[in-house]
Amino acid sequence: MGRGLVRGRKLTRRDFLLLSAGAGVGVVLTGCGAARDQAAVARTAAEGGSNYTGPPVQLGFWNGFTGGDGPIMLDLVNQFNSKHKNIKIDMITMQWAPDFYQKTPSAVAAGEGPDVAIMHVDHLGLNAARGVIVPLDGVVEALGLRGSDFAPVAWKAGIYGGKRYGIPLDTHPLGLYYNKAVMKDAGLDPNKPPQTKDEYMEALKELKGKGIRGSWVPPSYYTGWHMFTSLLWQFGGDLYNDDATKATVNSDAGVEALTWMVDLVKNDYSPKNVAQDGDVIALQNGQTAFNWNGIWMINVFGAVPDLEWGAAPLPRIGTEKAAWANSHNFVIPNQPDPNPDKLRAIKVFIAYVIKNSQAWAEGGQVPALNAVRDGKPFKKLEWQPEFAKELPYVHYGSSKPGVTEINDNILYTAVNDAVLLNTTPKDALDTAVSRADKLLKQNTQKYGG
Amino acid sequence: MQGTTAKPGGRNAGGLAKKLLTYAALILLTLIFVAPLLWMLSTSLKPNTETTALPLSLLPEQFSTEGYSTILNSGSQSPALVWFFNSMIAGLANTALILVTASMAAYALARMEFRGKRVLFAMIISTLFIPPIILLTPNYQIVDLFGWLDTLLAVIVPGAAGAFGVFFLRQFFLSLPKELEEAAMLDGANRYQIFFRIILPLSKAPLATLAVLSFLTNWNDFLWPVYVLFTPGNLTLPPGLSILQGAYTTNYAVIMAGGVIASIPVLIVFIIAQRYIIQGVARSGLKG
Amino acid sequence: MAAQNIEQTGAQPTPPGSGYPTGGKADTKRAFSWTPYVFLAPYLVLFTVFVLIPAVFGLWISLHNWDYLLPEQPWVGLENYTNLFTPGSPTAGFFWQSMEATGIFTLFSVPLLVIIPLLVALILNQKFRGRNFFRAMYFAPYVLGVAVIGVLWQYMLNPGFGVINYFLGLVGIGDGAVPWTTALPWAWISLVGMTVWWTLGFNAIIYLAGLQDINAELYEAAKVDGANRWQRFWNVTLPGLRPVLLFIVTVTILASANMFGQSYLVTDGAPANQTRTAIMYIAEEGLENFRMGSAAAMSYILALFLVLISILNFRFLNQREED
Repeated sequence: MGRGLVRGRKLTRRDFLLLSAGAGVGVVLTGCGAARDQAAVARTAAEGGSNYTGPPVQLGFWNGFTGGDGPIMLDLVNQFNSKHKNIKIDMITMQWAPDFYQKTPSAVAAGEGPDVAIMHVDHLGLNAARGVIVPLDGVVEALGLRGSDFAPVAWKAGIYGGKRYGIPLDTHPLGLYYNKAVMKDAGLDPNKPPQTKDEYMEALKELKGKGIRGSWVPPSYYTGWHMFTSLLWQFGGDLYNDDATKATVNSDAGVEALTWMVDLVKNDYSPKNVAQDGDVIALQNGQTAFNWNGIWMINVFGAVPDLEWGAAPLPRIGTEKAAWANSHNFVIPNQPDPNPDKLRAIKVFIAYVIKNSQAWAEGGQVPALNAVRDGKPFKKLEWQPEFAKELPYVHYGSSKPGVTEINDNILYTAVNDAVLLNTTPKDALDTAVSRADKLLKQNTQKYGG
Repeated sequence: MQGTTAKPGGRNAGGLAKKLLTYAALILLTLIFVAPLLWMLSTSLKPNTETTALPLSLLPEQFSTEGYSTILNSGSQSPALVWFFNSMIAGLANTALILVTASMAAYALARMEFRGKRVLFAMIISTLFIPPIILLTPNYQIVDLFGWLDTLLAVIVPGAAGAFGVFFLRQFFLSLPKELEEAAMLDGANRYQIFFRIILPLSKAPLATLAVLSFLTNWNDFLWPVYVLFTPGNLTLPPGLSILQGAYTTNYAVIMAGGVIASIPVLIVFIIAQRYIIQGVARSGLKG
Repeated sequence: MAAQNIEQTGAQPTPPGSGYPTGGKADTKRAFSWTPYVFLAPYLVLFTVFVLIPAVFGLWISLHNWDYLLPEQPWVGLENYTNLFTPGSPTAGFFWQSMEATGIFTLFSVPLLVIIPLLVALILNQKFRGRNFFRAMYFAPYVLGVAVIGVLWQYMLNPGFGVINYFLGLVGIGDGAVPWTTALPWAWISLVGMTVWWTLGFNAIIYLAGLQDINAELYEAAKVDGANRWQRFWNVTLPGLRPVLLFIVTVTILASANMFGQSYLVTDGAPANQTRTAIMYIAEEGLENFRMGSAAAMSYILALFLVLISILNFRFLNQREED
């Protein structure tokens, strides 16, 4: 897998030479293509991991924490640096999309990649297939990490092609935020957020009686997409079939899920055409009662003066409990010349952050490591444990190569179109599926089955 | 229009009213063009909390260099000074490369006879019509083959292959009187001596114009560097600003400070070389 | 130098101007000499490697499912092209949507960028104190790159705390909450408006040079014939400007059709990809999602459209020479 990069270069170079020969031009080719010494990596990977005693090393650490999570991770990094004299972590933050996920693979291919990085679990497959990141089975072994130490859903997801590529740091699920003042005004119990479909619809009716549109449906990706997928799983559907060769969002479950969202708009529980973040601002301003949003909003709502709010697991609208979630994973990018000292230092760093992820949790995350999640400090947090309750039934998107992009560019468009009332849910999903299937076929051809 | 207004001492009252009106229009336009730039400068000198607070303050209520110090002290996160020097190196190297290669090629095309000249010239000219977008993907691959991705060479060399400089200088060389060269040749000078001792010294103005235009174009180029430079320490200013916008989503003091840093050199070049730039632009429209 | 050209890869979209006189005959036929080739060599190496080869290499790429990070580049024949013309294919919808976005932007920006700079040039063409100062002020935004003006306008257009909504709010327009970057038609108004602001000076300078080229005697003659100001503008200024006007129209169309940075930085294609231009989609497809074959195919289709415009441009310029 990891050697794909090297072979890719040789192949394209030959193509290029053929072409330039054809054009009658000789071109001096300099270049890299340094062989990657996988064996050395594997060897070092298996060595210890709790302590680093080698020569001083500096590690580039890339991530996309551009929001409120950035300063928290930076604090963790600074703490680590001050405790480890011979390791200096140099953190670089870029926007996840387009910057991070475009520049990281390219930089790695150019031999300029970071030493350690964070990726979302649903991006692992693509980056593994393209040889951007290396398997971590040896690292995990060296660190003595076991599946039983982690939330099962987070642990299982880091595997691609039978190998582990990610070590989970956290899980960030979607949940239900509610404005207590608005609920009180409508005669609802502000300490008992609705948890079933009946309760939810009942609450919306009450609110409507008071002139409040209770549940705004954003057509934008954040969080229209996450709301839809949560509902899809609640109705028993899925985005793709088991091996992700066919899209299945236009199943009955998918249509039911999207129809429920669209009906919120049609029945005036939500305005039409909600602007990006309009739903969040509405909750803050007391214009609505409920908002389906990610755990990362805890500190955003927490920072709004005088806002009385709460958070709870998503209500069960469909036939089963389910919620969208994603997970930040530590990954190790491919290096032209893997440095055993650096690898040892990386292991120490990863172990440190995961074990000290209580601070990270406070930034609005559910830690993946059981020891942290079951610890007193975490349980004492006001809202994070509410989201942790969802762990048994959260769903991550498939990490099959290319699938994330299909989600974001094609399937999401169907949600957007339907919520804007441009087309019916069924038509929107059918169109998206036929497009998605063609791309899935191309992807199989590219990345193998 | 030109004839009437240019006339001095016409009907005085009407002339005065007209003059006032003209100045009013001119000043209003100046405001429209300059105000956003001043807003960028003003914002860059506010503490961040003030940049998004309502009501907006036109001038910093609390003067602060927080934006500049954040960007300059962020280490490898947003090394604006490194970006600045990268942009400088890339701009100067690209300009030098264009001046050397284009002037030599243009001279051969303007003054020498050789086999295949017409075909070659037609080919070079015809690429002026190739939409650059078709070169994007293949050039990315070629630059990758050379191992130039994520290096300044990627933003220095390919950009010098454009035909504009050759065309621009050839037009000028054609307009030079041939007698000088013929006299020099009689004195036994060869082509190289003529080119370096006679032609180039006579071409200072067009070379300066081409240099300034090339530098500005390279300094401001966006699409290509955004995609071929990856590591924050290897960026030039335009992709750096783009990263900055993503990484400091709500810290506008920092983003505007980056904008000011990226603007100052070009504005200085512009003030010094205004004549060349404006003439160059006008010439590109009128005379090629 | 075309306005906001995307000069990234070598060939600049600059039309060649007024044709080319044949070269001098200083060197009459004589023995073969290496000299011309020595002079040409450095440029030709660049030209071959970064213009000629990629122009052909791109065709080869477009016949594959090409991801430069993968070991294999599967051959797909013309599929990348046929997909563009097959409704419901993965790319057709997005591609034509992006072409439409480019078309809309071009349609609205070009007339403004042809007319407003002419008015500005007419004002600047009068004799008054400080003319050069004002000329420089109007041109100033153009010397800043799209990156600077992009991040600047993104801030100024912010619906919540942007200075534009703030002032509109003060005079009671739009509640001070116009969604300048997230909803139509506002996003188009923003993109076109900022582009006019940015590149107006460029076109105005060219007009100004054109105006100054018009023979003053023509105005005098028209005056003697009793033509009023409007008639003089219509019968002397405009015909005199015709070649410049055609140049500006075609260069502005090309520049607008190549729009990228404004959408990338200010709207990021919002709402729902509707302001994602063709160039932006091609760059995304090829260099973010690494479907380089598909991106190459799209770039040739876009290029076909642009070449048509360039040919028109070339013909206009030739016509001008015949005048």
